Amino acid sequence: MLEKEIIQETGFRNVHRDGQIAGFQVGYRSCYYRSVWLSMSLGFDVTVDGEKFGRDRIAVTVGGKTYTQEEMKKIGDVQWSIAEAAILTVEKPGGLKPGLHEVEIGWGHAASYMPMEFGSMPRRLQSPNVDAAMHGMMPFTEKRTIVLVV
Amino acid sequence: MEKRSMTRKTFLQTAAGAVAVTAFSRGASAMAETPGPKRGVCIYSYSDDIFKTVTLEDCLAAAGDLGGEGQEIGLDILANSHIEGYPNPSDAWVRKWHDMCAKYRVKPVEYGHWVESKLYSEKPPWLGTRESYDMLVRDIKLANRLGFTCGRTKLGVMDGQLTPVSNWREFIKMALPVAEKYNFRMLPEIHSPSRLKSKMIDDYVDFIQKEKTTPWFGLNIDFSVFRNRRSDGGAQGGPPADMAGGPGGPGGRGGWEAGEPSKVEEMIPLLPYVHCCHAKFMEMNDNCEETTIPYPEIVKMLVEHKWNGYLVSEYEGADRNSGGAFTAVRKHHVMMRRLLGEA
Repeated sequence: MLEKEIIQETGFRNVHRDGQIAGFQVGYRSCYYRSVWLSMSLGFDVTVDGEKFGRDRIAVTVGGKTYTQEEMKKIGDVQWSIAEAAILTVEKPGGLKPGLHEVEIGWGHAASYMPMEFGSMPRRLQSPNVDAAMHGMMPFTEKRTIVLVV
Repeated sequence: MEKRSMTRKTFLQTAAGAVAVTAFSRGASAMAETPGPKRGVCIYSYSDDIFKTVTLEDCLAAAGDLGGEGQEIGLDILANSHIEGYPNPSDAWVRKWHDMCAKYRVKPVEYGHWVESKLYSEKPPWLGTRESYDMLVRDIKLANRLGFTCGRTKLGVMDGQLTPVSNWREFIKMALPVAEKYNFRMLPEIHSPSRLKSKMIDDYVDFIQKEKTTPWFGLNIDFSVFRNRRSDGGAQGGPPADMAGGPGGPGGRGGWEAGEPSKVEEMIPLLPYVHCCHAKFMEMNDNCEETTIPYPEIVKMLVEHKWNGYLVSEYEGADRNSGGAFTAVRKHHVMMRRLLGEA
């Protein structure tokens, strides 16, 4: 099962490519009560210890497949399940040092049955009462300090 | 937290499994349905726990435990959220689904699904008629495969009055023969801030009568439209499922800000078109009374008019985020049993 917190500590680790540390991964479970089609995800933003990573440096793995955020916009028949954390792989040569890191992740989604466009709304900080706050109804940012081991 | 959830899980599965042994010997799967309003549960009520502290199976066990001897509890699920591998679950998962429903004595009733008009863009042009129809048909077939006979068919909206997208009549008309073939009633949910006396309802009723859609296209009334009090607990935990929440949001908080609630008698002329109701509730006190919605009046009206269908409990109370949903749903069913004359 998932951690109750939105940003998942398990799975937070550096990733290797060609014998080098190429970046890191972190899991993010949906804060929404409904799984969404990939095309309706409005994008993930990641900031670690104040360093912001652009969306072109963040790949998203759901259902065992990895997508760029640009690719996701066109995929209307695959869902990101609320039962599964999306694994965000962030490009950062050298990776993160083992220890505590303040991880901030922003995410939003479209909703057909809502009258307004959420994509155009400013992101808001999630309340500590995570699920109760908005059920992911608005683009928002979640923050958690988690420990990277390897 | 983990310890608590394991305890709940182990207990529920053991207890419900024990009941199921006797149920099977009575032929639970072929149980005849009693006429009149019947009790059910929306798995949505457990949203803050599912996949975090409990599994889907735990939720089905909790729902099934609300049924008495020889009684099946109706089930409402959200297709996207609760079907593993949606929209293409494996045959193995579908078998497991049917096995779980039999084991816990729950009856698939309503399948929550969405026509995702904004699938590729938040701005118009939205999803075309053909694509909307295809999406609808995919859900109708899957719902039928899982044993559901009603759909909470959510349509995309165009404005703050929640007016459905302009092509809704076209794709619904196209889907009517499919719905009939697969024994599936498409029911848009009428949820606060919508009201029963409104242009939206007039438009739906006009379409239903003109196209003779009964029972394949009708309505699901969410009891948020009748909500006339704030909960005693003050702050609400979350916004109503299908509304923008927050102070000043359009009709957030279960409809309190949406002006005068609908009157219970306004539902009477709609009853022939209503095949399932969302028994929305916000707060149960320790006498097992709902404090914000006039339940005694609503249920009395449904019984008097011999309405036949499921009242699926949908909880949106403040303590949902802290594990309160399971107890709240049980209290709600104590109330419903009383009001339905079961206890």
